[in-house]
Amino acid sequence: MRPEGTRTYLGPEARAREALRSRLLHLFASWGYQPVELSALEPFDPAHPNAESAFKLVDKTGDVLMLRSEFTTALMRALAEAGALSGVARYRYAGPLWLREAPAELGRLREFTQVGAELVGVSSPAADAELLALAWEALEAAGVREAVLELGLPSFVRDLLEAARLGPEATERLRRAVDKKAVPELAELLDAYGVRGRVREAILALPDLYGGREVLAEARRYALSERAKLDLDWLEETLARLEPGIELLFDLGMARRYDYYSGLTFRAFSPAHGFPLLGGGRYDGAMVPFAAGFALGLERLIEATGAAPTAPERYLAASPEIARRLRQEGQVAILGHGGDEDALLAEARQVGARYVVFEDRVVEVEG
Amino acid sequence: MKGYALTVALPKGRLFEKAYRALTSAGLDLPQPQDKRAMFFEKGDLALLLLRNADVPTYVDLGIADLGVVGKDNLVEAGRELYEPVDLGFGACRVSLIRRPEDHGPIRRLASKYPHIAELWLEQKGLSADVIKLHGNVELAALAGLADAVVDVVETGTTLKKAGLEEREVILKSTARLVVNKPALKLKAGRIRPLIERLREG
Repeated sequence: MRPEGTRTYLGPEARAREALRSRLLHLFASWGYQPVELSALEPFDPAHPNAESAFKLVDKTGDVLMLRSEFTTALMRALAEAGALSGVARYRYAGPLWLREAPAELGRLREFTQVGAELVGVSSPAADAELLALAWEALEAAGVREAVLELGLPSFVRDLLEAARLGPEATERLRRAVDKKAVPELAELLDAYGVRGRVREAILALPDLYGGREVLAEARRYALSERAKLDLDWLEETLARLEPGIELLFDLGMARRYDYYSGLTFRAFSPAHGFPLLGGGRYDGAMVPFAAGFALGLERLIEATGAAPTAPERYLAASPEIARRLRQEGQVAILGHGGDEDALLAEARQVGARYVVFEDRVVEVEG
Repeated sequence: MKGYALTVALPKGRLFEKAYRALTSAGLDLPQPQDKRAMFFEKGDLALLLLRNADVPTYVDLGIADLGVVGKDNLVEAGRELYEPVDLGFGACRVSLIRRPEDHGPIRRLASKYPHIAELWLEQKGLSADVIKLHGNVELAALAGLADAVVDVVETGTTLKKAGLEEREVILKSTARLVVNKPALKLKAGRIRPLIERLREG
């Protein structure tokens, strides 16, 4: 029996996955992003963001290992270990990830594949704009229709919540209410904690700061600290560098992992799918001084785009020389295992080849 | 659901009438469910799903429905990532810890229709007990000795008293909430946002 939340892929599905994965990696490569290979086995670390939900294994030494559950952390650790953190670098990756706790539902597998890119060693609106543009091109390359990129600014939420000057537990409860847009709970909590005046007004406004660009102007009214203003300036400079044509939405009430994300975060939606297709952001200082990146979920992209590519035409070659020649011409050639013409024709039917190629002629297989 | 501008999930049972009225008076032109046995209705570009209370968060989280109405009790129990922007105010009840008057010892076995809420409460109190999931008549579990405490919904408390049980602690106060699928709130903001505003003015 296959473990819950895992899948195998055959036929058109496997073809679609392979094609999409290589299309995305090719795109990242053409932007100068370098390949990396990361181990699927990692030492257990209670400080890892997925420490609880990751699969664990026991090594022969008795040490606990985790299965890779996230690429960013794995890559940053690998870079730190290799002492490869000087200068600006661009990386791309693709591969499976595992999470023990994810329920096996639509688009939520326990074994899933991500393709992503990270831009390390630089922190600027230009770098953020590059990642947004690349993310948009990735969605186009994947064939996602009516895609929208949604931008958030968790640091803005953090700055406003810090203005309330509450303890960590109270701040965390406020954060959760903001993130769920649970305005009734938020108002109740602010009353209970005695938060009043402009700070209360600003925090209560956070959950509704979503929509188009008008949201940014509205957010200015609530930017209480100098830092919050700078966060908004950064976001506007990033937007100014984007080429037109990228569909953007904003949600300044997004408050997930704001202790990790230092600046902009973003994800992509498509009306065809109930989950984000892509997610990323800037996490300066979380593991390395300057870094930002994003990852696409391969399974979700396939589900959102549907169509599998048709298999390329296949030829059955009567001899190794013919097969080699066909392959040099860019065709898919299966080497015939021999016998006379009838045997080759039968074989072609069996392996799904439409033509048998002999030295002097090409025979189309009937039926 | 595909092909509809908006799909709404409403719970069958005691919340339905009020939820339906709240949404329609906020301007949502919902289909009128004529046949009570049917589960799916449509009108224009709107679809309406009638579900069991506890299933509403699932349909909304997975994006089958864009929005729905569900009691806070079932919402917390589901533990799903949803937006819950409006407290609709009706359907008030509380989820409480209930024991027999003579029971004062440590809780070893806790029975509930809300195993997740029960676990959260135990964790918050630093207690450990076995949680048994039941589907109904939870009071009986305390009376019959299946569990030495139960976590159950209390509306007025009279049923409890009649059964000879005591409400010891209110764990959660619940009212009906509007819940919205995360991407839907953004992608269909043109329809959902005004609805939220009107419901809040309510």
